[in-house]
Amino acid sequence: MKKIYIKEEFCIGCRLCEIYCQVKHSKSKKIIKAFKKEQPDIISRVLVEEIGYNSFAIQCRHCADAPCVEACISGAMLKNDKTGVVTCSEDKCVGCWSCIMVCPYGVIKRDYSAGKVASKCDLCVDEDIPVCVRNCPNEALKFFDTGEK
Amino acid sequence: MKNKTTDYLIIGNSAAGLSAAASIRKNDKDGTISIVSSEEYTNYSKPLITYYLAGKVELEKIYFKNESFYKDNNLRLILSSKVVFLDEKKMVAELSDGCQISFKKLLISSGGKPMTPKIRVVEDQNKKEYVNYSGIGGVFTLTTLEDAIKLKKYINKNNIKSAIILGGGLIGLKSAEAMLELGSQITIIELSDRILAASFDKNASEIIENKIKENGGNIFTNTTVDEIIVTKGKITGVTLKNGKKLDTGLLVIAVGVKPNVEFIQNQSIKLSNGIVVDDFLKTSVNNIYAAGDVVVSHDRLSNEQKNIAIWPLAIRQGSIAGMNMSGEKVRYQGGFFMNSVEILGIPSISVGLNNLDDKAIEGVKIFSQFNPEKYIYRKVTIKNDKVVGIILVGGIERAGIYSGLISNEIDISGVSANIAREDFGIIQLPADYRKHLVVGEGIEV
Repeated sequence: MKKIYIKEEFCIGCRLCEIYCQVKHSKSKKIIKAFKKEQPDIISRVLVEEIGYNSFAIQCRHCADAPCVEACISGAMLKNDKTGVVTCSEDKCVGCWSCIMVCPYGVIKRDYSAGKVASKCDLCVDEDIPVCVRNCPNEALKFFDTGEK
Repeated sequence: MKNKTTDYLIIGNSAAGLSAAASIRKNDKDGTISIVSSEEYTNYSKPLITYYLAGKVELEKIYFKNESFYKDNNLRLILSSKVVFLDEKKMVAELSDGCQISFKKLLISSGGKPMTPKIRVVEDQNKKEYVNYSGIGGVFTLTTLEDAIKLKKYINKNNIKSAIILGGGLIGLKSAEAMLELGSQITIIELSDRILAASFDKNASEIIENKIKENGGNIFTNTTVDEIIVTKGKITGVTLKNGKKLDTGLLVIAVGVKPNVEFIQNQSIKLSNGIVVDDFLKTSVNNIYAAGDVVVSHDRLSNEQKNIAIWPLAIRQGSIAGMNMSGEKVRYQGGFFMNSVEILGIPSISVGLNNLDDKAIEGVKIFSQFNPEKYIYRKVTIKNDKVVGIILVGGIERAGIYSGLISNEIDISGVSANIAREDFGIIQLPADYRKHLVVGEGIEV
C-alpha cells in the first residue's frame, strides 16, 4: 500500500503539516474559518516533535500488524483488507483508549469534540496525496508504495 | 440426540475464539469450523457490558464483529449450548442438549467465569440461614451481557438508588462507575487495603479513591461482606466483617474471574490455575489448543506462566492458535498485563509491573510525578535500564510509546532522566530505536 514516509533530516519544524491536517479535518475546510471558529476542537492527526534543530512529523504508520486494531474492544478500529488503511469508526468508538495504550508511535489522540472518540490519521483517503505530504515545503514527508502491507 | 462432525471446533464466541476462526479460515478455505457458545448472543464485546449498563452503548452496537463475519468466513455458530463434557481421547464434545460433536482440532477459548465467595444469607422473617445467594433479588455478578441486561432491568424496575459493589478491582470499578453515572449512590467493599491493588500502586489508587469519595461514593477497605440480609426474597442490606451494617437494594459481586474449565473433567488436559499451553498455544493434548482468558501463558515481564485475562492478548493468542491449528507454526512470544480504564472522567493506563519499588528489588529505578490535587500521576518503573511498568493517571497521551519500549526491551539508560515527563516523545528515545520507528527498517527514501 501507499504509505507516508518520514525524512527526518529534511524537516524544518514549520508545522504546516499540522495546520493543513487540521483544516482538512475541520467542518468548514477553510483555513481562516477553521482557526477562528472551530478551534480548539480540531485536532491535528500528524504530530511534529522537535528538540533544538532536530524535528520530524509523525502520524499513523498504518501498521501491517496493527496493535491498535488488536486492542480495540469495540470493533471500531479496523484495517481495511483491500486498501490497508487503518481507520477508527467514530460511530463505534467508545473512548476506552486501549489504542492509545498500545500504539508505539503515540499517534492516536483523544477527541472530545464530537462525543469521545479516538482520533488518528486516515491517510486522507479522498485525496490523491495526503494533505500533510502535499503541503510540506521541504519534502520531509513522502507518499509512495514500497510493497509494505 | 443429533450428532455432528466438524474439522475445527471452537468453544467460546468471544475475542480469542473469533480471532482464531478468522485465522483458520485464511489458511483453510474448505474445512468446517463450528463455534459453540453457552450464551444466546451472536457476539458482543465483554468489556462493553458496563458501558451498556451506564447507557453509553446501545445493545445494537455492542457487537465487535458484524453479523456478516460468520457468513464471510463460513462459520457454523451454535448458540445457547454449553459444552458439558469433553472426551479428549475420542475427540468429542458433548453439549448441554445432548448433542455430540466430533472434531479433528479443538480450540478452548471458553473465557472466565465470576468467582462467587461464600457469604452467609440471613432471611429476616424466617430466621433462616443458608449460603446459596444465587436466587436472591438484587444480588448480581457482572461478567456477561445477560448479567448486564438483568441488572439494568432490576435497577429500573426496583428504582435502585444505592448499590454495594463487592470488589475494588477492574470489574468492580467499572460497575461502580456505571452505577454512579446512573445516579446511584455507591459503596465499594475491598478486602485489600486499597482499590485496584493489582494494577495500580498506592498513589494511583489514592487518586481514584479520592475522586470516588468526592463524587459521593463510599469505600471500605480491609473488609468484606459477611452476611447478606434478605427480606421477601430481596436483599435489603449487608453486614461487613468489621461488624458494620449497611442498607442496600443491590449487591454486585465483583471479586474476580477465574478460567472457565469446568467441562474438562479428565486429567489429560493439564490445568494449573487455567489451561497450561506451550509456546504454540497447544495444550498437553495433541490437536487441542487454548487461548484467551482461560489459559495460563508466558508473562514476559515476570517470566512466569500466568493468567493474563486482557482483550489484546486474547485476540493475539486466538489468532496465533488459529494459525497453528491450520498448518502454520507460529510461536506465541508471550505478553504482559495492561489496562486502560476511565473512572469519573479520570483516564488511566497501567502497563506491566508497577509495584517493584515496594519490594526493594535491585536494579529498579522509579521516575514519577505525583500531583493528587490535579488527579495527575505519572510513574515509570525501570529495571536493569529497561522500562518494565508505567502508570499514567489523568494524562494518558502517548502511553503506547512506553508499551513499545517495554515490548521491544529497549535500553533507555541514556534518556531515563526525561522518561516520566509529560512531553516525553519519540524524539527523546535512543537513536537506533527512534530511527527504527521514524524511518522504518530497510526503507531508503
